[in-house]
Amino acid sequence: MINVQQLRDRAKELLESGEVKYVFGWRKGTFWYQSPPVIISKAEDADKLIWDEFCLNNLSKYLLDYKNLDGKIAIFVKGCDSRGVNRLIQDQQVKRESVVLIGLPCPGMKDPQLAREMGESKLNEVPKIEKCAQCLTPNPVEYDELMGDEVAAGLAVEERFVRVQDLESKSADEKYEFWQQQYDKCIRCFACRNVCPACNCRECCFDQSEPEWLGKRVVTAENQFFALTRAMHVAGRCIECGECERVCPMDIPIMSLNKKIIKDINGLFGEYDAGVNVEDKPPLGRFDENDPEEFM
Amino acid sequence: MKIIKRDKLKDLLNSFAKNAQTLAPVKENDTIKFLPWKGQGEIDLSQNALLPPKDLLFPQTEVMYRYTDGGVQGEITDVAAAAERQVIFGIRPCDVRSLTMMDDVFMTKGYEDDYYKSKRENTILISLGCNEPQPTCFCTSMGIDMMEADGADIVMYDLGEKLALEPKTDAGEQLLNDVDVLEDGAAEKPVAKECQLKADAEGLAEKLAQMFHHSYWEDLSRTCIGCGTCTYLCPTCHCFDIRRKNIGEEGFQFRCWDSCMFSEYTRMAGGHNPRPSKKERVRNRFLHKLQYFPERYGKVACVGCGRCVGKCPVNIDITRIIGELREVSVDE
Amino acid sequence: MSNSVAKQLEEHPLVPMVGEVSKIVDETPDVKTFHIYYEQGKPFTPMPGQVAMLSLLSVGEAMFSVRGVDENHLEFSLKKTGILTDALHEIEEGQKVGVRGPYGNGFPIDFCKGKDMLFIGMGIGLAPVRTMIYHCINNREDYGKMQIIYGARSPQDLVFKEDLFENWHKVPNCGVDVTVDRGDDDWDGNVGFVPPFVEGLAPNPENTVAIICGPPIGIKFTLPVLEKLGFTNDQIITTLEMRMKCGIGKCGRCNIGSCYVCLDGPVFSLEQLKVMPDEY
Repeated sequence: MINVQQLRDRAKELLESGEVKYVFGWRKGTFWYQSPPVIISKAEDADKLIWDEFCLNNLSKYLLDYKNLDGKIAIFVKGCDSRGVNRLIQDQQVKRESVVLIGLPCPGMKDPQLAREMGESKLNEVPKIEKCAQCLTPNPVEYDELMGDEVAAGLAVEERFVRVQDLESKSADEKYEFWQQQYDKCIRCFACRNVCPACNCRECCFDQSEPEWLGKRVVTAENQFFALTRAMHVAGRCIECGECERVCPMDIPIMSLNKKIIKDINGLFGEYDAGVNVEDKPPLGRFDENDPEEFM
Repeated sequence: MKIIKRDKLKDLLNSFAKNAQTLAPVKENDTIKFLPWKGQGEIDLSQNALLPPKDLLFPQTEVMYRYTDGGVQGEITDVAAAAERQVIFGIRPCDVRSLTMMDDVFMTKGYEDDYYKSKRENTILISLGCNEPQPTCFCTSMGIDMMEADGADIVMYDLGEKLALEPKTDAGEQLLNDVDVLEDGAAEKPVAKECQLKADAEGLAEKLAQMFHHSYWEDLSRTCIGCGTCTYLCPTCHCFDIRRKNIGEEGFQFRCWDSCMFSEYTRMAGGHNPRPSKKERVRNRFLHKLQYFPERYGKVACVGCGRCVGKCPVNIDITRIIGELREVSVDE
Repeated sequence: MSNSVAKQLEEHPLVPMVGEVSKIVDETPDVKTFHIYYEQGKPFTPMPGQVAMLSLLSVGEAMFSVRGVDENHLEFSLKKTGILTDALHEIEEGQKVGVRGPYGNGFPIDFCKGKDMLFIGMGIGLAPVRTMIYHCINNREDYGKMQIIYGARSPQDLVFKEDLFENWHKVPNCGVDVTVDRGDDDWDGNVGFVPPFVEGLAPNPENTVAIICGPPIGIKFTLPVLEKLGFTNDQIITTLEMRMKCGIGKCGRCNIGSCYVCLDGPVFSLEQLKVMPDEY
């Protein structure tokens, strides 16, 4: 793995020289199996930075909080973070020149829940967290500088939608029942939306009260409306970082829904990996005369 | 003291359920939650429920009254009925303590909230002592005895193969007398293992009263994603919104949990928002727990259940915050 | 108050009492005053400065300053600012609406007794101030000199014109001074913002209580003027607006520090506000 000192030194350098105002990275959390995000602005805080098996948060979303910053931000990016940054650039939320991307090839992060159960002595045996086991792009797809050597490619393309098979084998009624059960658990904390780099509207429709699109009752009908609207809104734009599913306190398998939609879009409009190439237009954001229209 | 073998637990719950809605921690889809006991299900007493039992007294969504409203005519047709009796089985000492705080909010300071009060007065609490805390637990730091539960009608201890129940109120005594699956007995109260996580909020409110403009809040709030996980999983958070749902010329007024973490929470008609950014919202949440609630009700509004510590997506950990607030200089 | 009404209020503090809108007065292009009639007698008698939740059942409810008119009527004056007030501005006489309350502390009547009263209202902020003005008029012997200063953006935006230009001039030992930010061809009164207008009038602070209400920016610039004139913080009283849902100190929304505006306010002295967090 990359030497932590290298990260800290680089962050310190960037802050001391005044090249950047903030550095986004990870720190050590309450427990040994937690490495949450940290945003630092002082060179002396660079020693808080770490890089270990639990840096699983995607940092890109925080860029939205600094949209009006007069100055640059350095952000450490794994594959998924870099795709998140690209997503925000494509949505014209962030300017490429306002960020310094320090690439970190990612070996895949470990599952903190299992780590907690297995204990620190078995750290090496703790499996990857689901979202990392499903990763296609462990290496940063966009960076200004890269630390360490690139890691082997991620998940093979043919395995990408394995998770959807189970869902697809269900009948329409079974699917409905499955998702109803899942979304009946939803407490509408909006963690999935708030963590998602594809959710970057200035004001989310779910927060609007005039008109009130989403009723505040936490009942099946409203939860379904929330789930479907969000799924369709990120369709073609989901970068597959899996953060929505990771942060869901109720363990709703949100990525199954996202993956199914990605699979369908790829089938209809051709292969597309959101956030991998900033020049590629999202399939649902462009028109092509040859687009299929059998479903219309 | 009454004793029941673990394998007879379902019989006990069945007996309670004959006379009252009985809620017990049941594992469903890998999650432990308080569900109405219908004679079936996997009772799971291994650790506390993910969602706090506050929902049973203060539901996430609750109809308040119904109305008709067509043209110029309008009237209130129905006000939500008084609650039926309910038994909450296996509630942990931390959550029992949280209900005493809910009581302070909903039943003191001039007004009694009839929706809450009706449920509260018809609720019997059977607590379950915690033999072994989770790594995220810090209830003992908040002055809670892991075995006892002030406010419970019956205190229950986990003796491994058996459970011991000791009535603490007349209602509790009555409930146990009405069932015939219990044996009389005596048992040593188990000794709880210590909480590993600690936090000392004693006397912090006075310091915080001088820290409203401290830069700490800005630093703390940077990584918060502004979701409602902490507030919705918190057994002491009690903020709600009041909304309505119209169906043709009929409709109903309901209330639902709300979160001070949400951006539109304090936004007024006309657009002014006294808490416009994460900094003000995060500050409000922690000052509410550690300063405002103590000033108003004489208690720290945290029971150390650790749910927020376990589930915050970015590890904003109240125990760490309490520690840091103790350390920082008021003058920066 | 009828027994059934009292019972409902006591048992269900969050359920409104339905009354009928008996009169609507167009005050300005965006302010209307609503009289709400209760056949069995109005459900409560608000103290000056108290607030109440007014609702259109199918649209929503919000907190406004409320005045008791007579045995059967409550009165609200509302500016169009959001979903509910937009809808209320569309209704006609005869419409059923809901009211619950009264909430909050109201103006400190005992503290004001025996003192001269300075009232400063800006825009729709005159509505809460007016509840106290009426109280003083109805209990005239309890108070000293009354001075009412009112400012609006334009002559068109003046509210309660009958009070400002007729009724209050008839009150003994009571002065009324009105200004507008911008005049028009028909306006021959004072022109100028409230803060310098107050400074020019130079009300005497001695044994006087100033009650001031208006948009935050107006209050912000008037307070230094009052301080300059010699008013101390405990002599200056204002009312705050916060988003409220329950009105009874439960829903948690309207807190400023450990105060709830719905219970401990909406009326605060400047002395109180100075020690509260400035988060409103």
